Amino acid sequence: MRRVAIPPRANWRERAEQSGFRFHTIDGEPYWDESAYYAFTLHQIEHDLEAPTEDLHAMALDLVGAIVASEERMRRLDIPEPFWDWIARSWQARDAHVVGRMDLAYDGHAPAKLYEFNYDTPTSLFEAAFFQWQWLDDQQRDGRLPVAADQFNSIYESLVEALAMIAPQLPRPIRFAALRDAVEDQGTSDYLRDCALQAGIECAALAIEDVGLSADGRYTDLDDAVIGTLFKLYPLEDLFREPFGRHLPDSGLRLVEPPWKAVLSNKGILPLLWEAHEGHPNLLPAYFDDGADPLPAGWVRKPLHSREGANVRIALPDGERIETAGPYTGPAIRQAFHPLPQFDGRHALIGSWVVGDRACGIGIREDASPITRDSARFVPHAILEAGTATLLA
Amino acid sequence: MKRSRTAALLIMGVTPLALTSCSRETQTEGLYTSVESCIAQTNDSYNCQQAFDQARRQAETDAPRYASREACVAEHGADTCQPRSDASGHSYFMPLMTGFLIGQLMRGGQTVDLNGAPAFQDRAGNWQRPAAPSSGGVYRPGSLGTTAMAPIAAQPDRAPTVSRGGFGSRSAGSGG
Repeated sequence: MRRVAIPPRANWRERAEQSGFRFHTIDGEPYWDESAYYAFTLHQIEHDLEAPTEDLHAMALDLVGAIVASEERMRRLDIPEPFWDWIARSWQARDAHVVGRMDLAYDGHAPAKLYEFNYDTPTSLFEAAFFQWQWLDDQQRDGRLPVAADQFNSIYESLVEALAMIAPQLPRPIRFAALRDAVEDQGTSDYLRDCALQAGIECAALAIEDVGLSADGRYTDLDDAVIGTLFKLYPLEDLFREPFGRHLPDSGLRLVEPPWKAVLSNKGILPLLWEAHEGHPNLLPAYFDDGADPLPAGWVRKPLHSREGANVRIALPDGERIETAGPYTGPAIRQAFHPLPQFDGRHALIGSWVVGDRACGIGIREDASPITRDSARFVPHAILEAGTATLLA
Repeated sequence: MKRSRTAALLIMGVTPLALTSCSRETQTEGLYTSVESCIAQTNDSYNCQQAFDQARRQAETDAPRYASREACVAEHGADTCQPRSDASGHSYFMPLMTGFLIGQLMRGGQTVDLNGAPAFQDRAGNWQRPAAPSSGGVYRPGSLGTTAMAPIAAQPDRAPTVSRGGFGSRSAGSGG
């Protein structure tokens, strides 16, 4: 695993425009950054990232049944009681799931360590599945990367296949919803809808704010049509707590990602995984946080529902403290500090994608800070055999 | 190979890429009660308007025709029956088009054919469309001419909305 400088495509902004990639620059700062890429060997991809991703995914799914059956654990995960039965039923029925991303700290040598799961509303999907793929294709055409170069990225094919597989079980059209003004969420939701259309599924889009409620407790669209299936890029835990949430269990609505993902998109899964598989090479020690201050050196505190690296507090081994701002409060977990590797002074985090139950690709985010936030840049990657990158770059 | 053989987009961006691996055809059909609701659901104002205009033109020729208001009301309810007259001055009654269908034929991920068709409702609110001559629709007693109506299979499941805005109070983006 190396960070290699490469000339950006002269026309990359046009390429972004053509594909509807509107958030390549956020608040004047680059988000998409193709002035470099990460080069992996095939062994690193298959042995160190793909296989552990599938293992971690399987280990997490193995825990869901016991968690949803335990009042004590559902309470521990801060999931509101009125939704417990509904979540358990959705697991018993194995309601279809589509996509998730797990974040891994990996330096090219030591075992990848699981930071967390983003299994409910993962973003950076379009960048990983499409724009990164196109980058490699263009760079190969321009002769800047060898034709033998590859990429760990069958996300697109996996999405179309997974959506086609689950569609027969779901009322259609599938309606895709995200916050109206969240450009990144809308882009991700549009990409998922694009893949669903390619799978031959009837789709529609609406803003999550436009979801209506009928007198008999069903959800409606702007045309008063009852929503049968809602693919929402909006956190389950927020749906639970908002005014319309109490109707979810009896509305007949099918949600994607399904209700049982509330268990896995919750940082409480990390201590439960550690409890079940203590010492696993891809896990970091993790416990439910007792709230005691100060946080001991060498530990990281993360709220159960924090996203985008918000409200994370780190007590570095030397005692220095780092904390990010954010809106999240409530119960938290504590995870052993494990630094992100640095390449050219940038902290690189690997987002490893799981579609259906298949590990199918990665995307890399770089941040100047040791905590990866929503401003972290997306940098593409390639699989090269050792030596070729430096010859051609 | 560890990557997708191709990567294609259908609706994102302005230039859909050609698909190289997908050649199958899919037929989709959507029923909408207004151009606005069509746009809200599909984000495709051009095709919504095209389909609506096509449906409106077709409704003038293909809507069921009744010799009397009573015959029309018996089938469609009092609110929708309108008097009309043909070129030779004969008057008749026909129901208003209360919805329209968009039929889309997609091949290799691209829309290759798009059709708008009018949709009407019977007294009970069930949706129906003028049947193609060969499809053997439901004969309408008291109707003039040969327009047969066929039920629309994919009826929108509808419920009057009593409130909106109960989701989405989160101000920041949701992703992680």
